[in-house]
Amino acid sequence: MSSDLLPASYRHLEPWVDRWALASQAERETTRRASTGAQLKAFYDALVGEGDGIVAHLNALPLDQLPAPEQRLLYLMLSLAEVAPHVELYRGDPRVPFSFEEERFIAEHGAAPGFNGDLYALPNRPA
Amino acid sequence: MNKPVASRWAQQFPQLGTDPVPVDALLSAEYFQREKEKLFKRTWLKLARVEELPQSGSWKLKPLPIWDSSIILVRGEDGQIRGFHNTCSHRGNRVIWAEDGHGKDRRFSCHFHGWTYNLKGELVHVPQEEEFFDSFCKPDNGLAPVAVEVWEGFIFAHLDPQPAVSLKDYLGEAATRLEGFPYGQMTAVYAYRTVLNCNWKIAQDAFSEAYHVTTIHAGSFPEGFSAKLYEVQLFGPHRTSAVYMDDKGPTPTPVAALSHRLGTTSIAKRGTRVALPPGVNPTRSPNFAFELSVMFPNFLVHIMDGLYFTHQFHPLSVDQTLWEGIQYFPPPQNAGERFSQEYGQVLQRNAWLEDTATMEATHAALKSGAKKVMHLQDQEVLLRHHYQAVDEYVNS
Ligand code: FES
Ligand SMILES: [Fe+2]
Repeated sequence: MSSDLLPASYRHLEPWVDRWALASQAERETTRRASTGAQLKAFYDALVGEGDGIVAHLNALPLDQLPAPEQRLLYLMLSLAEVAPHVELYRGDPRVPFSFEEERFIAEHGAAPGFNGDLYALPNRPA
Repeated sequence: MNKPVASRWAQQFPQLGTDPVPVDALLSAEYFQREKEKLFKRTWLKLARVEELPQSGSWKLKPLPIWDSSIILVRGEDGQIRGFHNTCSHRGNRVIWAEDGHGKDRRFSCHFHGWTYNLKGELVHVPQEEEFFDSFCKPDNGLAPVAVEVWEGFIFAHLDPQPAVSLKDYLGEAATRLEGFPYGQMTAVYAYRTVLNCNWKIAQDAFSEAYHVTTIHAGSFPEGFSAKLYEVQLFGPHRTSAVYMDDKGPTPTPVAALSHRLGTTSIAKRGTRVALPPGVNPTRSPNFAFELSVMFPNFLVHIMDGLYFTHQFHPLSVDQTLWEGIQYFPPPQNAGERFSQEYGQVLQRNAWLEDTATMEATHAALKSGAKKVMHLQDQEVLLRHHYQAVDEYVNS
């Protein structure tokens, strides 16, 4: 396994990279739905205490020029944003309880043609 | 300061009455036909944002089933945005087939026989022009225009190319009171859409009151929001109100707290509200959540400190609606702001999944005919006003 998947001080989070360092919201959403409550909780527990430190590390760098290890670290944080409501608010339910069919919600920012994983590459694509 | 004191809207707006509202307007195909002809084809409708057409030659196709048409919005060489029906002047073929793009050589060419139009919609080239007859006059055969006007970067169109009322006069005070908000700076866009198997008013109603918050949003917003509306104002067919947080809310969860520390990007965050026009949250209460403004008939604008979001409900038929929910943020300056936006945005998306959960079931259940009316309470005043405004157009 490559030893520089994540910045040196965050190597201990490398086991989470494969599943959760995902570039688009659509991928993060799909992975969250495909997880069990226990899997979501384990990922959440690994990240939640590190949030302030990770952000301090990333904020020292320009957002649009993050080196690959830092970019993966940011993707992990975005997955934390995706997963957190399910752990903190929905009692571990991997879906939003009492909701519309999520699969029928089309996210334009995640599904636009030419979408390269960067939500901000297509800043002006409202429906 | 805390939020304003709740009002009794029925006393303030006696013209709305207090009777139950007949559900026929949600189910009748005949009523829908009249909505289409007498309302949607006779009012200004929001179609897009100016940022969608960044430069001269940029165009976007906006399907508008309620007009039985698709509208080409295009920015001309003079910078002006124009709108045209996507219908060729020769034998009526579609001129444009893609969703968006850039006018090739600043022209549009029909694939059928090659008739070509410039960015102003003028017909500039007809192959074998000499074979046509005296009855054909090239300058009279540009693309058919619709009226297009822009308010605060929102592009509206009117089916009548020479509408009797300008957009500014149509929106009136409902629009002027929302002016000055930095809409144009909020170019980080998250847009969702889905087709809902329900009448457009059922969908729109669910975003027009706060009564449902404690039940529907028990998951995503378990506490914190007041279930009442504040500062309700009616402007002709348009209306506005404000949503506030309760004086005492829950302690934010760890990730919500982190997100709130890093940016002003969640509707559940309290704080000083500074970037708002003076008429919105006039007391600058830290409990202000967002403004709920309805530009009649089908466009909702919600402004708050740090972001805004919109809803639009496009009727497809009496029992089908295309819904679009869009969140607009300033581009994040660093990873912390990026994270904060993602959290606020995801929670809002989840709340919208909760909002849309009951709509199809409501429509299907009402079709049974078991209930002839719905009983609206005082805090559902915006719905009452909406049904009355629709009715006035439909019966005009
Ligand atoms: S229909 Fe367009 S050129 Fe003939
Ligand atoms: Fe809601």
